[in-house]
Amino acid sequence: MATATASPQSRTFFSLFWRRLRRHKMAMAGLVVIVLLVLMAIFAPLIAPYDPTAQPTGEDVGQYYFNPPSREHLLGTDDLGRDVLSRIIYGSRISLLVGFAVAFSSVLLGTLMGTLAGYYAGRPLRFYLGPLRREKEGFHPWTFALWRVLSWFLYYGALYLVLSIAWALAEDGIRAGSLGSYLGFGLTLALVLWAAWYGLKGQIRLDLDVAISRLIDFMLTIPTLPLLLVLSALLRDPEVAVGRWAQGVFGDAASVFIIIFILVLFGWLGTARLVRGSILSLREQDYATAAQALGASDFRIMFRHLVPNTLAPIIVQATLQIGGAILTEAALSFLGFGIQPPVATWGNMLTNAQEYIFTAPWLALPPGFMIFITVLAFNYLGDGLRDALDPRSRL
Amino acid sequence: MFAYTVRRLLQIIPLLFAASVVIYALLALQPGDPLDELRRQNPRMTAEQFEALKRAYGLDQPLHIRYFKWLSRALRGDLGYSRTYGIPAAEYIFVQRLPKTLILSGLALTLALVVAIPVGIFSAVRQYSLADYVITFLSFVGFSMPVFFLGILLLYFFAIWLPDHIPGFPRFPTGGVPGVLWEDVRSGAVSLWAFLGQWAWHLVLPVVTLASLQMAEWTRFMRASLLEVLSQDYIRTARAKGLSERVVLYKHALRNALIPIVTLVGLAIPGVLGGATITETIFSYPGMGRAIFDALVEKDYNVAMAALAFLALMTALFNLLADLAYALVDPRIRYS
Repeated sequence: MATATASPQSRTFFSLFWRRLRRHKMAMAGLVVIVLLVLMAIFAPLIAPYDPTAQPTGEDVGQYYFNPPSREHLLGTDDLGRDVLSRIIYGSRISLLVGFAVAFSSVLLGTLMGTLAGYYAGRPLRFYLGPLRREKEGFHPWTFALWRVLSWFLYYGALYLVLSIAWALAEDGIRAGSLGSYLGFGLTLALVLWAAWYGLKGQIRLDLDVAISRLIDFMLTIPTLPLLLVLSALLRDPEVAVGRWAQGVFGDAASVFIIIFILVLFGWLGTARLVRGSILSLREQDYATAAQALGASDFRIMFRHLVPNTLAPIIVQATLQIGGAILTEAALSFLGFGIQPPVATWGNMLTNAQEYIFTAPWLALPPGFMIFITVLAFNYLGDGLRDALDPRSRL
Repeated sequence: MFAYTVRRLLQIIPLLFAASVVIYALLALQPGDPLDELRRQNPRMTAEQFEALKRAYGLDQPLHIRYFKWLSRALRGDLGYSRTYGIPAAEYIFVQRLPKTLILSGLALTLALVVAIPVGIFSAVRQYSLADYVITFLSFVGFSMPVFFLGILLLYFFAIWLPDHIPGFPRFPTGGVPGVLWEDVRSGAVSLWAFLGQWAWHLVLPVVTLASLQMAEWTRFMRASLLEVLSQDYIRTARAKGLSERVVLYKHALRNALIPIVTLVGLAIPGVLGGATITETIFSYPGMGRAIFDALVEKDYNVAMAALAFLALMTALFNLLADLAYALVDPRIRYS
């Protein structure tokens, strides 16, 4: 960067940041590794010596299986005679795709949720207004009227659902004349009737912050790995609508899409907490009040004034999350619940590795090493970015 | 404080309810139902018999009814039977698997803690020394290393490569648990030391594998936490008073730096109970993680449901405990 040596006035934010990042040697090493990996992924067809999915055919194919590293196959061949080096090179495409896609989408979703939660904390939104309730303020956009009508259907629909569940549970007991069933059903009926009456004239306010924070707490309560396994099995199944759709659109790569989707589902929680915290303090700043006084809309204040000020930690979070996503994908694929063969990924090349380790160690070591190097590079880059973007750190 | 605890405990109830609904729904929606297996084993089954079986298992009822029936039984302590093992799911999970997991993961957690705290302190005190750089590098390696890769590496070197190449190098077991049982010790067939030795011998590799990630994270955390405290004004005051570096470090700085570690350890405990699916898979160790994984694969839903609901409960409880412990050790924090 030529600007790095220019006079202090001409230092842009970026040149300053780049100067600071360059001093972090390990981060630069990480960056170089990442650039090389991306180049490898892009030019995979040119670099790879063989087709990663081609299996040997003809008579006596057995002699091509489990070949140790040799001049023809630099890293040997696997259990179906495929070239391991080519699979490693093509695998980088999937791993990087999963890493970048998951990190980008979860950071986007997390920022959105965190901003909404932080900005509307303590300012509950009117979520439900009964059909008979008169509004005090005059004008509302037509979308609000539409939502109002829709929410009645949701509200009374939910009440109906509760009642039908209660009846289904108590039906046998009531036929048999059990007192407990009568009591339980009667109590539920009374509650539902009360809620139906209240819903006519009442209103329900919803604090988005409470809702989103509770959702995050809730998702952190569920054991993650088993849930990832269950979701992966469920969504990959071609008999389920999502699975059928993914299979139709993505073909062999459907499991890649599904893994990205699942990892994003659990990936946004950290970013959301982070962003919520900073938005909570940023919205009290004078410039936010000034923007409000000038008549800026909530949307404009949130995304033009507040979010840009939280970008530094978000960028660090995203970088670290790329490594995390690559690790999780590999772990799922290792257990056989991730991306399915014949698509080659570093994770699914390690499936059954603990059995092959005794007979064919060249199958287990290279993919594991690639995952390790990639994640290490992203972790170091994230660490360097954190130091470079933090004005308090002295570099 | 008491009111806060009660409120948080009450908040756990809807949280667990929602978690169990989601887990139940996801399990019930899994492709194929538990009867498929039976039908495959017995192709001569007629359609009527199949329907009767479905009714007997309650599978003809809609999902939400099945859930509430499960819930009302579970609340009375009946978690159903394991389909694979034919014993109560509660016995399988809590008697057969949980103790083994507690041994493995508990040891790993202890090892991580015992290593991470002193090393982190050392690294912070000697900031920017060669040792600090080495420790920092190792901790980066530690949390970038995929657990399954580390496990496979250790297995390869300590069970195959080193014993093959260095004569006299002990060959570590490749997995499983030792054949000696606690009953053998009680009956006097095996001495206590032989028993403990056998277990330790089998547990070395899995424990190291499992501990490495947490060790790396906590070392780094301990270092950052102590550095943060050491830059505070009261540390400068303590030094200005002429206190020895030892007293400043251990009485003034370390006590405050350890506070966040308490939370971290509290939050790690539910993970201990959940077992370590990947480590247990590599070393074929019969723990909770593997039990849940197998239950999911074999569609043994009573077991999966019991284990996952138990884990959700523990996660919620230990979150609360971590918050309470935080307030207990740090008088600056007050909950209301």
